[in-house]
Amino acid sequence: MKESGIRHLRSAVMLTFITIVIGLLIYSRIQSYSLAPTMKPADFSKYSWYEIPLYYLWDYASHGWICLLFAFMTAGLVYEFVPKEAITRYMGGSKITGYGLALGIAPFLTVCSCTMVPLFAGILYTGAGIGPAITFLLMAPASNILTILLTGEMISWEIAGFRVIASICVALIAGVVISKTSWGKAVEREHQRPISRPQKTVQMVMPPLDERLSASLKFAGYLAKQILPFFVLGLVAVSYVEAYLPEDIVSKYLTGITGVLIASVIGGPLYTPTLVEIVLGRGLLKLGMSQGALLSWLMGQPYDIANALAVSRIAKWKVVLTYMIVAWMGSVAFGILYGSITGSL
Amino acid sequence: MKQITLEVIGPDPPCIRCLMLKKNAQKAAEKLRGDGISVEIKNLNIMAEETIMKYGFLFSPAMAVNDIVKFMGMVPSEEEIERVIIEACHSGRS
Repeated sequence: MKESGIRHLRSAVMLTFITIVIGLLIYSRIQSYSLAPTMKPADFSKYSWYEIPLYYLWDYASHGWICLLFAFMTAGLVYEFVPKEAITRYMGGSKITGYGLALGIAPFLTVCSCTMVPLFAGILYTGAGIGPAITFLLMAPASNILTILLTGEMISWEIAGFRVIASICVALIAGVVISKTSWGKAVEREHQRPISRPQKTVQMVMPPLDERLSASLKFAGYLAKQILPFFVLGLVAVSYVEAYLPEDIVSKYLTGITGVLIASVIGGPLYTPTLVEIVLGRGLLKLGMSQGALLSWLMGQPYDIANALAVSRIAKWKVVLTYMIVAWMGSVAFGILYGSITGSL
Repeated sequence: MKQITLEVIGPDPPCIRCLMLKKNAQKAAEKLRGDGISVEIKNLNIMAEETIMKYGFLFSPAMAVNDIVKFMGMVPSEEEIERVIIEACHSGRS
């Protein structure tokens, strides 16, 4: 059985790698070593314009690599090992299971934008209907596992947790609201088919463990390849914002209720599916943006334009507009709430 | 000559991972041609009505062999695909 020996060896190597990465993260926690970069806006003044992005990138890379590695690896592993067949079986069920699953699966399955719109369509078509589909769509980018991990590590776990709760509320409200509107119901009627799937059309093959591990690590690598180039470009931009944007402008416009409103408006269209909003938000926070405005800023992404365009191909523009408005109101409301709880509005 | 139909199911326009799956499937098909198995590879749009009527709600990328979904939400390796096709040949015989 030479082949099975090789398989065991491959599995062991990959499991060791995974354990080391998790261990490094835990170790950094115990040592309370900051994974977020340590440069302050004032530090930038001693560098010339071309040195700023270099030092900033180095600062990020030297501190953030464990966090990024862990985030990508976890995303890959979770996506691979989540029981997909069971989910597809329950997804066609009642409305309540639909909402529950939409909220429960979105964080784990949508690290890759290419899976999101098909899943939205799948939920809409196969019985759960427009409400859960919209809930899923809003929940997905707002709190997928990559975003949560990076928000927690780079900014704070407090805001990451609050962001998840806020996203759940907003996604649920938007889903329920749209399923009650006449235009939402029209889309549902148009697309929904009574589907009785014959049991034998899906018989998933379970590949051996080493295959699954290597597929999930490859997926992690693929995600990193997709996201990191934009992330680096974003960091370059952020370094200039931190270096040159005067603090008094930030503290004047990005605090208070106006700050929340402005942050929620610019957070949306500026969002790129590259996690840049987290580092940019962090930069603005250091320059004096309030915590409340930061939350609105982070929550701004579900109503970004690219996302809306993809969805409007399936659903009507009225549906898209409704969920954008609900999401925007939600981000403002939770921004103000979070600002008043933390005393930083 | 054994005849096998393989469907690569993904969104249209195809996502990169669906293309990776398709490439692996093509390599597997190439290898099996020498063993007397002819594999026909088709593309299916995961959001099309026919696909959903046929298979229900799937994760992309998915792959079906002789109208049975074998993988979804992952890119199986060339060897995995090969194994599944050979298995399908044997089950067809009995």
